[in-house]
Amino acid sequence: MSVGQVLLIADAVIGLSCASSVAVIAIAKFGRDRGGARSSALLAPYRHALIAMASGEDEEGQARGVLFAVSAPTWDRLRPSVVAFLPKVRGAPADDLGELLRSHGEIEAAKRMLISRSAVRRARAAYLLGLVRDPDSAALVLPLLGDPDEDVRLVAARALGAIGEPSAARGVLHALRTQHGQIGLPAWVAAEALLSMGVQIAPALQIGLASEDPAVRNVCAVVAGLGTFASVAPQLRILLATDSEGDVRASAAVALGRVGGAEDVVALARHTDASETAVLRRTCATALGDLGQRESLDTLVGLLGDGDCRLAALAADSLVRIGSEGIARLQEAAAATRPGPSARAALGALDLAGLRGQLGVSGGGA
Amino acid sequence: MTWADLLEGSRHVITAIMDLVATPVLIYFLVINTSLLVLIGLAAWEFLRHNRRTGYAGREETLASRLGQGVSVVVPAYNEEAVIVTSVQAMLSLRYPRHEVIVVDDGSTDAMFAQLRAAFDLVPVQREVPSDLTTRGTIIDVHVPRGGRTRLVVVRKENSGRSDAINVGINAAAEPLVMFVDADSILDPDALIVVTKPFADDPTRVVATGGVIRAANGCKVVDGRIVEVNLAKPWIVRIQVVEYLRAFLLGRTGWSRFGALILISGAFGMFRRDVLVGIGGLDPDSIGEDFELVMRIHRHMIDNHRDYRVQFVAEPVSWTEVPVTATVLRSQRKRWHRGLWETLWKYRRMLFNPRYGKVGLVAIPYYWVFELIAPLVELVGLVLVAAGFALGVVNVPYALLFMAVAYGYAILVTLVAIAIDELAFHKYTRWRDLGAILLVSVLENVGYRQATAWWRMEGWWSSLVGKKAVWGTMTRQGFDDGSSPVTAVTSMSSDERAKSSDE
Repeated sequence: MSVGQVLLIADAVIGLSCASSVAVIAIAKFGRDRGGARSSALLAPYRHALIAMASGEDEEGQARGVLFAVSAPTWDRLRPSVVAFLPKVRGAPADDLGELLRSHGEIEAAKRMLISRSAVRRARAAYLLGLVRDPDSAALVLPLLGDPDEDVRLVAARALGAIGEPSAARGVLHALRTQHGQIGLPAWVAAEALLSMGVQIAPALQIGLASEDPAVRNVCAVVAGLGTFASVAPQLRILLATDSEGDVRASAAVALGRVGGAEDVVALARHTDASETAVLRRTCATALGDLGQRESLDTLVGLLGDGDCRLAALAADSLVRIGSEGIARLQEAAAATRPGPSARAALGALDLAGLRGQLGVSGGGA
Repeated sequence: MTWADLLEGSRHVITAIMDLVATPVLIYFLVINTSLLVLIGLAAWEFLRHNRRTGYAGREETLASRLGQGVSVVVPAYNEEAVIVTSVQAMLSLRYPRHEVIVVDDGSTDAMFAQLRAAFDLVPVQREVPSDLTTRGTIIDVHVPRGGRTRLVVVRKENSGRSDAINVGINAAAEPLVMFVDADSILDPDALIVVTKPFADDPTRVVATGGVIRAANGCKVVDGRIVEVNLAKPWIVRIQVVEYLRAFLLGRTGWSRFGALILISGAFGMFRRDVLVGIGGLDPDSIGEDFELVMRIHRHMIDNHRDYRVQFVAEPVSWTEVPVTATVLRSQRKRWHRGLWETLWKYRRMLFNPRYGKVGLVAIPYYWVFELIAPLVELVGLVLVAAGFALGVVNVPYALLFMAVAYGYAILVTLVAIAIDELAFHKYTRWRDLGAILLVSVLENVGYRQATAWWRMEGWWSSLVGKKAVWGTMTRQGFDDGSSPVTAVTSMSSDERAKSSDE
C-alpha cells in the first residue's frame, strides 16, 4: 500500500470520526435542552399535587386522588420525580409516597427485578425497596450483598440499613471485605448501614472485630464507638494494644473513648507514650478527654510539656472537656513561675476556652 | 564550495535525516494520540459508572455520615487583599460537617491581614504551631475569630514561598485530612463532600485525592461562587479551557481508573495529614512541587509495603483563573515543564522499576516519552518539514500523512474529549460557547501548540543549563460580584514566589 493510499484512508477515518464527534455533541445538547423542556411540560400538571403530598399538606386528599389516578404512560414519566422525593421526606409523607408507588405496582415490580440480569435494574430495584423501607423485602435484598456488581452490593447494603434488618449485619461485613485489591463496599456505607440496624448487631460486630481484613476491623471499631456498643470494649482494648494497622488502633482508641470506662484510662494513657506514633498518641489524648475520667488528669497534665505541641494542645483541650478539675489543673500549669511548654499549652487552651465561654464565671483564661 | 554545492549537501542531509526519522516520528504521534484516546476511554468508563451511581450512591448522605473525616483547608496567601475575604467566606461556607480553614499569610505586604482581621474579628491566641514538618519562615503569630467558634485560623509568618507556607498550614492543621487551595480558586459548594468521599469509602487505604480544575475566566461569580459558567472571549483562554478538559479532567481520570495517577494538581488536592507528615511535606525547593509530592507519596508507600490508593475525582470542581497573556502563559509552561523534568529526573530510579508496579512500568515511562519529550519531537518534526519544503526535498504525501497523524488525529482526540464532557457534565450551556470550544479544537493546532512546545523546551533547557528557577511575574485578574472578572491587577515578583494562577 502506497503512502498516498494510507493518507487517503487516514484522512477518511479521522474526518468521519471528527464529524461523528461533532454530531454526538450537537445531538446530546439538543436532546438535553429539548428533553428537559418536554419533561417539565409533561410534569407541570402534577407538580403541585406531588409537592403537596411530599410536604404533608394534602389534608383533604386531593393530591392523593390525582396522583393515584394517573394513567400508566403518565406514571412512567412521573415515577422518577416520586422516587427523587422519597429520600428527602420522613413520616407520613414518606408513607404516602410509598403507598403511591405500591399502588402503581412499583414495589412488586422491584421485587421481581431483584433477580434481573441487568445490574442497573437490580440496583434500582434494591434502591426503591430501601427507600420505602419495606421490611418484607429484606430477605430478598440480602442475597444482593454478594452480587458480582459493586453498585448492586452498595445499594443492597444501603437498603438493608434503611430497612433496619439486623440479621443482615454479617452479610454487610462479609461484603465489606477487600476482594482483588478493591473494597467490597464503601466503608461509610457499611458503617451507616450497621448503625441503622440497632443493638442487635453486637454479635456480628464481635466477629468483625476479629476479622483478618483491616477494613472490616476498622469499620467495626468505628461502629462500636459511634453506636456505643460497650459489650465489645474488651476486643477494642485488644485491637488498641496489638493490631498491626495504625488506623485500626486509632479507631479502637476513639471507640474506647466513647464506650470505655475508668479501667481504660491506663491503656489509653500507655499509648500516649513517646514510643508510639504521633497519630496514636494524639488520638489517645483526645480519647482520654472523651472518657472524662478524673483518673486521666495526671496523664494529661504530664502531656502538656511534651515536645509534640499538637499532643500538648490536645491534652490541654481534653482537660478543659473533663471540666472544673481539669481546668483547675490547667490554670495551675499556666501560672507556673517559670513559663515553659506546659504553661504555653495551658495558656493556649485557656485562651480558646475563654473565647468559647467554657470557663464559666470564675474562669480566668490567659 | 559553491552555494549550489551547499544547497545540494543540505538536501542530502535533510533527506537522510527524514528517511531516518520519518517512520519513527509518525509512529510516535500515532502512539501518543492513541494513548490519549485510551485514557479518554478509561475516563469515559469512569464517568459512566459515576453517573450511573449518582442516583443511588447517597452522596447527600455522606454529609450526615459520621464516618466523614474532618478537613483542614489550607490557603497559602501572599498579597491577596483583593480576594481573601470573599475567598475565606466561601471556603467556610462549603457544605461539609467538619472543616476548618487555615490561612497562611506568607509575609504579605498589602492590607490582606487587616482585611481578614476586620472581616472576621480576629484576635491573637497563644497557640503554638506544631513542628511536625520542618519549615523555613518564622511564624509571627496566630489569630482566630473572637467567638472561638468559627473554624478559621490565620497564621502569619515571614515570607518563604508557597510550598513552605503550605507546610506551615499542614503543621497547623488539626484535622486528619488536609486540602490545599489557592486563595483565588473558587470551589463548588459540594467540593469537599465529593473529594473526601474516597477517604470515607476506603479510609485505611486512600491517601490522596485530586479534583478537577476548570478555567474561571469569563464565568459569573457572586460571593465567591460560580453561578454561571461562560466561556471567556480571549482565544488564548478558550484554548486553555480545552487543554484543561483534555489533560486534567479526562487524562487524570483515565490514569486514576488505570490505578497509576502520579500527578494531583497543587491547586486542588487532598491528602492524609499523617502521610504528608510522614514524607516530609512539600519540597520548598521544587518548582514542580505538586508532581514531586505525589511521586514521593508513591515511592514512600511502595517502599514501606503499604497498600494505598491515589484517586482522582471527576466531579468536584475548583475554578481558577488561567493566564490571559502570552507572557504569563509562557512563564507558566516553562515552569511546568521544568518541574516535570526535574521531578522525573529526581525519581529516575522508579523508571521501569517493577517494584513500583504500574507507576514505575507505565505511568512514569509515559510521562518521560509522551510528556517530557513530546515538545522536542514536535519541534524537530516541524523544523524538518519546513526545511524539507524550503529545499524542495519533502515527500508531500508523507508530509500530509504527518499532518493527519500529528494534528488531524489530535483534533479528533480533542473532539472526543469534548463530546464525553458534554455527555457527562455539560458545563457549558450556551450553544455559542460549545461552538467556540469546537472551533478551538482546530485552532489550537495553528500556532498555539507550536508556541507552547517551544516554551516547554525553554523551561527544560533552563534547568539543563542550571538557570535559577523563577516563578515569573503574574498579572492576574481578580473576581468581583458581577458578570465578568474585574481588571484589578495583582502582581508578584520572582523573589516573593507567590503563587501564580496555574494549577
